[in-house]
Amino acid sequence: MLSYTLRTLMRMALTFFVIVTIVFFATRLSGNAVDFVIGDGMTTEDRDLLIKYYELDRPVLSQYFAFLRSFTDGQFGLSFIERRPVADMVLERVWPSTQLLLSAVTLTLLVSIPLGITAAIWRKSWIGSAVMVVAFLGYAVPNFVLAIVMVLIFSYWLNWLPVVGNGTAWHFIMPTVALAGVLIAALTRFTRNAMLDVLGQDFMRTARAKGLPESAVIFKHGLRNAGITILSVIGLQVAGLAASGSVVIESIFAWPGIGDLLVTSALRRDYPVLQFGVLTVAVAVIMINAAIDLAYAWADPRLRHSVKG
Amino acid sequence: MTYPAVPATSVPAAALQLWHSANIIQKAAIVIGLSLVLMALLAPLIAPFDPNSQSLISRLRPPLGLERAKAGYLLGTDELGRDVFSRSLYGLRLTLMLASLGAMLGLLIGGTLGLLAGIVGGRVEATIMAAVDTQIAVPFTLVALFLLAILGSSIEVIVLVLGLAGWEQYARIVRGEVKRLMNIPFIEAARAAGAGPLRIARHHLLPNIISPLVVQFTLALSNIVLLESTLSFLGLGVQPPTATLGSMVGIGRDYMPTAPWIVAAPATMILLITFAVQILGDWLRDGADVRLRER
Amino acid sequence: MLRLLLSTALAAGLASGASTQEITVGAANVSSYLDPGRDHSNVGSQFYYNSFDTLIGKNHDTLEADWQPALATEWKLVDPKTMELKLRDGVTFHNGEVMNADDVVFSLNRMYQADFPPYVVRSRDRLSNFVKAEKIDDLTVRISVEKEEPLWETLLNLQQVMIIPEDYTKGLTGDPKVAEHDDFEAFSLAPVGTGPYRIAEFVPGERVVYERFDDFWGEKAPLAKATVQHIPETASRLTALKTGEANIITNIAPDQLALIESDKNLRTVGSATPLFHVMIMNVNHPKLKDPRIRQALSLAIDRDTLNEALWLGKAVVPSTHTLKEYGDLYMPELKTFEYNPEKAKQLLKEAGYDGFEVTFDTHPTYYTNGLLAAQAITEMWKEVGINGRVNIAEKWSGRSPEMMTRNWSNPMYFADPFGSFGVMWAPNGPSEGEGRFNTDAEYAKIWERFRFSKDVEARKTAYGELMERIKQDPPVLPLYRPYESWAMRKDVSWAPKPGHIPYVLDFRAGSISFASN
Repeated sequence: MLSYTLRTLMRMALTFFVIVTIVFFATRLSGNAVDFVIGDGMTTEDRDLLIKYYELDRPVLSQYFAFLRSFTDGQFGLSFIERRPVADMVLERVWPSTQLLLSAVTLTLLVSIPLGITAAIWRKSWIGSAVMVVAFLGYAVPNFVLAIVMVLIFSYWLNWLPVVGNGTAWHFIMPTVALAGVLIAALTRFTRNAMLDVLGQDFMRTARAKGLPESAVIFKHGLRNAGITILSVIGLQVAGLAASGSVVIESIFAWPGIGDLLVTSALRRDYPVLQFGVLTVAVAVIMINAAIDLAYAWADPRLRHSVKG
Repeated sequence: MTYPAVPATSVPAAALQLWHSANIIQKAAIVIGLSLVLMALLAPLIAPFDPNSQSLISRLRPPLGLERAKAGYLLGTDELGRDVFSRSLYGLRLTLMLASLGAMLGLLIGGTLGLLAGIVGGRVEATIMAAVDTQIAVPFTLVALFLLAILGSSIEVIVLVLGLAGWEQYARIVRGEVKRLMNIPFIEAARAAGAGPLRIARHHLLPNIISPLVVQFTLALSNIVLLESTLSFLGLGVQPPTATLGSMVGIGRDYMPTAPWIVAAPATMILLITFAVQILGDWLRDGADVRLRER
Repeated sequence: MLRLLLSTALAAGLASGASTQEITVGAANVSSYLDPGRDHSNVGSQFYYNSFDTLIGKNHDTLEADWQPALATEWKLVDPKTMELKLRDGVTFHNGEVMNADDVVFSLNRMYQADFPPYVVRSRDRLSNFVKAEKIDDLTVRISVEKEEPLWETLLNLQQVMIIPEDYTKGLTGDPKVAEHDDFEAFSLAPVGTGPYRIAEFVPGERVVYERFDDFWGEKAPLAKATVQHIPETASRLTALKTGEANIITNIAPDQLALIESDKNLRTVGSATPLFHVMIMNVNHPKLKDPRIRQALSLAIDRDTLNEALWLGKAVVPSTHTLKEYGDLYMPELKTFEYNPEKAKQLLKEAGYDGFEVTFDTHPTYYTNGLLAAQAITEMWKEVGINGRVNIAEKWSGRSPEMMTRNWSNPMYFADPFGSFGVMWAPNGPSEGEGRFNTDAEYAKIWERFRFSKDVEARKTAYGELMERIKQDPPVLPLYRPYESWAMRKDVSWAPKPGHIPYVLDFRAGSISFASN
């Protein structure tokens, strides 16, 4: 188990380093920050002055090493555009993003596990199909269309819900639903499939043969065993969402989140912010993945033994 | 009975058998899917107008039947006076093309790498899986943004971007299946008999991993349709004036309060595509699952 | 008991009265930094006027240059190249420091003798004639110029020479006695001025919160608090206004106006903003070297139709690069640009145009209607046989040798042709510096006459000659003065004032009020 943990950690560190390096060089390849940061209408002389001031004239390799060094001072450099430490900029947005993510995941769990079980149990009747159709609807339109339609209905016409920012609990409703739409579809589907896998297995037949009531069979034996699969799916989905899912929603609801910051800084080639932002997200995703790997190993005795051996 | 257990003798007969085995929702999905494909194929024949031809004096006209509608423009006109109906048809055509090419590219890249990782193992596997981890941890919108910035935003590059969007899923699935199958006696026997990795892949692995791949392919197909619209939302999609369903909703969203018909038709088409593809994917998945078939 | 109820009701009434003194503005864009000196962006100019003052003020209710005392109470030329200004007594900065000649000299010289690169750049394109500011006594300063300056007041009324506190700025980082580059960087995150509102909170790109500054030297601010909040999505901005989360919203596209006007609680205001959306053409692009090709690109564009279709006819299509804000130098009689597709076709034929592709670059969202206009323009080109293609990019391509044509804006930085055309198209100015426009000795000579002649007629003649040069070998076509709109709740009374530079959100006394209460 210890060596497994160590190996997982090593893999995390390696992935992290690869990401750092790729992000650094990909940003440099994708265009000179000068064309984005410095703006329009400038004489060559002035432009050279600013290039020098922003230290964009240094050779790429020396920038790379300076970038690696900046990990040690805890500031990770200054934003080209806002001229403040990127760590401040990114960290002030981590919490709002996390809040939104957590509320979307909670909603997803509350909705899709019951839906998924229902769909599995009644998979041959119309109920099962109907559940799946409903689950798909959240997934079937681009989430920004869903979000704007909600905004127009619940805020513009009915004036029930606020649309700007994350001030109160009411502010969470629409972004959470918009964000959870995709997750619900995916998780309902996976829950259903995991349950179907489990339902066909021998121990379920044994449980039934013992004369246990069907509900007990499903909840005690079925769900517990399907849980491992569901756990890993949630982990992947959350990781995926943490990585990129929410930029569109953040922009529509003026939510001060990290997705919006990442895309804006990428569009404006604010390399320092972008680099640190991507790293923050990557660390979060890698941690989520590692946590799931470990939980998986811990929950599944076969895997635990195999990694020992 | 959800899947034909007995191999059919001819293609039409098989299709008929499939049709009879479908429930009402699955039948609806088949009909919707086929009509969309047909509409896409016939777009140049059905569309009443050139999808890009503008008429600045008749911008933002509503669909027929509403006040201020303009004769001949069934679904109204968009922000540059182009025919929404014609643009939707051509948009559908291009979107389906992008999605299928993208999903196939993802399958090709991911499937190959997954196969390689599973069969060869060792350092190759470690490298490939590290790439998978990296891909998962980096926001995809950023990957797309960089690729488009470096390579330009032509249709080819967009296909590449959309293809790269799902390769890691294929790679995971294929590697997992391969690892499972490698321990099964008939493959061990083949290896013992001296069969090379290529031969093993072609004769023993491929037939066994086809069904999870098909399911993933359908998933990827609808994911890509949605992803294309997200890219357009961020201004990274197919460049105007070319219409795709994604760019029509991505650019048209500013008009949702004032001229919702610009977004309505393409958004409905996206909904129908993802709906049909998902239902069919699940159906395939159920049918392919041996254990369920036995129950 | 009754009394308690009454007093509660009264308090509630007062509270609601007070709450109307607080407003929220939903803005499409919020600055990433706030320093009036280094900034000349359209986003930034929204913010400075509420919190900063210039030495010489301006009556913004009129188009004409009606100069008013501001931080300087009087000013006069002591010799043709030196101006002496008396400073207002008893002005304090938001941080409590008292303003004196040292602050003024510091603020001006950080621009006139700039060594902080962002200041150097801003100073060079408009303040290069200014040599230095000197302190005479605590309330007197002298400013000297290199050549006799016809635009003294104009150039002392610029946003870039708004006054900031010396001690505060120098003390922000490092040595409190020295103005380091880091001090200026820090200032742009925690700006302090003398205006009627202090900036109580600034989250770059997200939010600017103004609070009334009680020690303001002039008429007190009408609002206790004003929050400018970034709401990028059009639908969300409209909705925020409708729900009352915002009292005013910015950047309303003309296509949205009817929807807002149809709501009885809302209204819109707008004006043809003093700037031009222009099309620039790279005179040095190998395929566009022949002026006839560029003339054809320009002649093929029916700007009146663009105006009618995209701006509901509310934009202003100019005949030459001129704005009515210029007063005596407004020259609508010049006919530099026109729509003539037949002539365009003929010129293309003469130039031997072989159908090569002409790209038109545009940012996806920066200019209102920018992407629409780009698509409409390429369609108009098609009519005369030009093979155009829209190329959308975030980056500024105006200095790329591959750039063929693109959109841009020529804002009026100050009310003089020098403040718009003159900044952008000067010899060695930004356009020439970016390599897409060429000038020669003769152009430079005309430009000098235009810039420095003290006789208005001489300046006008020179400007006419410059326009003729532009017509013969065109690097630019002004498309129109865009009609920019704001929308607000009916109980708010605000409108852009004619005397401002574009986009200023002026919340000073007399500029904003509430209809009821």
